[in-house]
Amino acid sequence: MARGLGRYILIRALMIIPMILILYTIVFLFLRILPGNPILAVVGTKNIPPEQLHHLEHLAGLDKPPYVQYFDYLWKMLRGDLGVTLASPMGKSVASYIKLRLPATVELTIFAFTVSVLLGLATGVLGAVKKGTKVDTGMRVYSIIAYTLFIPWFGMMLQYLFGVRLHWLPTSGRIDPGINFHSITGFYVLDALFQGNWAALKSVLAHLVLPSITLGIVLSGAYTRLVRNNMVDVLSQDFIRAYLARGVPERKVLWYALKNAFIPVVTLMGLQFAILLGGAVLTETTFNWPGMGTFIMERINYRDYNSIQGAVIVFALFVGLISLIVDVIYALLDPRVEY
Amino acid sequence: MKKTKIAVLVVFLVVFSVVASGCIGGGGSNTTSSSQSTTQSQGTSSSGQSQTTSSSSAGVAEQLVIGVTDKVTDLDPANAYDFYTWEVLNNVMEGLVKYKPGTLEIEPGLAEKWEVNNDSTVWTFHLRKGLKFDDGSPFTAQDVVRSINRIMTIKGDPSWLVTSFVDHVEAKDDYTVVFYLKHPTAYFLALLTTPPYFPVSPKYDNDKIDSDATFGGIGPYKITKWVRDQELVLEANPNYYGDQPKTKKIIIRFYNDASTMRLALQNGEIDIAWRTLRPTDIKSLKKNSKVSVIEVPGAFIRYVCLNTKIDPTKEVKVRQALAAAINRQEISNVVFQGTVEPLYSLIPNGMWSHKDVFKDAYGDANLDKAKQLLQEAGYSKDNPLKITLWYTPTHYGDTEASLAQVLKSEWEKTGMIKVDIKSAEWNTYTDYARKGQMQVYLLGWYPDYLDPDDYTTPFLDGDANGWAGTGYNNTQMNTILRKAQTITDQNQRAKLYEQAQDILAQDVPYIPLIQGKLFVVTQKSVKGVTIGPDMIFHYSTVYKTG
Repeated sequence: MARGLGRYILIRALMIIPMILILYTIVFLFLRILPGNPILAVVGTKNIPPEQLHHLEHLAGLDKPPYVQYFDYLWKMLRGDLGVTLASPMGKSVASYIKLRLPATVELTIFAFTVSVLLGLATGVLGAVKKGTKVDTGMRVYSIIAYTLFIPWFGMMLQYLFGVRLHWLPTSGRIDPGINFHSITGFYVLDALFQGNWAALKSVLAHLVLPSITLGIVLSGAYTRLVRNNMVDVLSQDFIRAYLARGVPERKVLWYALKNAFIPVVTLMGLQFAILLGGAVLTETTFNWPGMGTFIMERINYRDYNSIQGAVIVFALFVGLISLIVDVIYALLDPRVEY
Repeated sequence: MKKTKIAVLVVFLVVFSVVASGCIGGGGSNTTSSSQSTTQSQGTSSSGQSQTTSSSSAGVAEQLVIGVTDKVTDLDPANAYDFYTWEVLNNVMEGLVKYKPGTLEIEPGLAEKWEVNNDSTVWTFHLRKGLKFDDGSPFTAQDVVRSINRIMTIKGDPSWLVTSFVDHVEAKDDYTVVFYLKHPTAYFLALLTTPPYFPVSPKYDNDKIDSDATFGGIGPYKITKWVRDQELVLEANPNYYGDQPKTKKIIIRFYNDASTMRLALQNGEIDIAWRTLRPTDIKSLKKNSKVSVIEVPGAFIRYVCLNTKIDPTKEVKVRQALAAAINRQEISNVVFQGTVEPLYSLIPNGMWSHKDVFKDAYGDANLDKAKQLLQEAGYSKDNPLKITLWYTPTHYGDTEASLAQVLKSEWEKTGMIKVDIKSAEWNTYTDYARKGQMQVYLLGWYPDYLDPDDYTTPFLDGDANGWAGTGYNNTQMNTILRKAQTITDQNQRAKLYEQAQDILAQDVPYIPLIQGKLFVVTQKSVKGVTIGPDMIFHYSTVYKTG
């Protein structure tokens, strides 16, 4: 079985390659079909002489035919080089930007993900246990409201309440300005922990509260429904009745039921993680979070081909690998899955 | 069996993390992360909402936080070409001359004095002695020569500000430097105040851009921490020759949008909200007793471009009619909530030679004149003039769509014009403009240097206005503008610019609309904000009490 699992992982991992190739091609085509180019977007209404413009286009490689640009970039990408930015500052490596921005998004995602899973499980279990009561209806309403909340609006409400009104929490950014902190990995929580910099850790955690709660609540709605319905199914099954009949304590029975109801939730978690990464864009904008979402948005405005291509590829790779991990966990959790 | 599964999972996670870190770290030639700071700054506060620092003995806070929605793109003056980055460079570097704070008057900077020959083609500067770059290297005339040559070699975005004017530079001795210009340039001193002319430390490569350079100019501040798109920390430069800044440490925080920045100001996370809050934010913050709203005249202008090459704006009477029907006061009140002022020329209010030529020629909201001109051009109620008005939705803020709407309704009030509104994103928009594909469209202008030349030549000289796409080319205009560039006498130059503005009002390739004001919103405890006509916030005078 272990060999089967190994093969499964390998095949799944290899499938990420065509996925990225297709994605790269689509992004490349879209960017080239749209009018405008990075140089013009940057200089805009400046009366740079035409020869200067041609020089800048040449530096950016935009004077080459599109198919040459396509293969040039593909070749670079295969060697792990994501190219250089075309919008100002021209010539800075895209990887250096992604290195700066990706950890911010991942950190936010992990916290929001944790919030959403915990909230989703708690509300879902509560709904199932109190099935048919007002509490159950309340949880159902919660899940619908949470699911339909508009992130910028909800985020701003929280910012206003906990920041401007109560002065409890910072409203934006990742850390207080001017704090003595030097990030190495880009994951501020980890860095602050390893450096034993408690002031920085406190500040970083305080900054994480509002964005991760905003995003976490919005995403928890889907879990509430799923956990509740699964729990109800499992609770009505024979083995639960058998446990109860034999006098097993109710809390223990609930735990067994939750373990069984958890399996489909894992699948949802994988999907949600991908959505989270993408959906973080709105949260990042609302809370001025310097992550990948804001980076891609900003670079689209400048039609910075290389940065957009690079960011999308890294994002895809990340999502591909996460969904692969989730599938593996799923396989390990559910004894019925065979390879 | 179970152990095997867990082992597989662990191995898998390790492989994954290696792959992930490899893919984000590898490839690029740039191995130094821009999050690295050159010097660690002093730690101060850790609370979520207040950065109030330990106060110095004089009761002035040691640090002050400024929020902006702009980005610092490129800290190398050879490549930086956007307004906010120029502001930062102006605080950490200096040119041979500079503007006297709050005025358009030029005063000595790194040069103590200067001479110019009769036809203003040879400019000689005598440098201050004993100056040092903030990295400690001594400053001499050779540094000026090297920095100028560096700009010319690198050919970055703003390099035309040097290469179009300067032929070559020579160091006569350690403290004398001579600029030989390609042609007489009366406003050369104004050019010298721009970052491409700022001398940089010998640490910079002579032929490579260093976008994350945090070393080396001579200015009141030096950069001590730089986390791209998040935070920039400036600390007083102990080597600076002039007065030491009032606030030792200035922290700039970068915001994605105005509403987040406004919340941060209200929450006390920042002391000053600078470029750029929205007109609605300004209006409501004016009523907030906890903050001060400071208003400064700005030198940026907004205008309508009219394509003189395609129908129906090819017809001069059509362009004049459109100019006559506009109500600038309404635009200012409705669209910008009174945060701008009407403008009747391309040369901004307050700059020498400015003349309200459009007001004199057409008045404001002069519907009768507009109708008459339209009739003369062959249009009527039954045969209305049909035009397409273009705007770009985000580049000039979210007021742009309403600006287009208001213009449409003003023009349609004549009953003889039908306006179709279209929009395109900035990069597409600039492409269309440069190719001359739009008929009537909205643009804005931030000056490169403060001289009437920068508000006339790029728009009206047939050889220089390719970017604007109006296709305007008038030989008489070209002659006047070129003459005004070469003579040094300001009175004579002013006369020429007045003539140019008169012709502009007759030919109407552009209709000036409004001139921006700048707003700085601060906590009540902040004092000493000085912003001159150059629109640059010099941080060294600002301070916070208590």
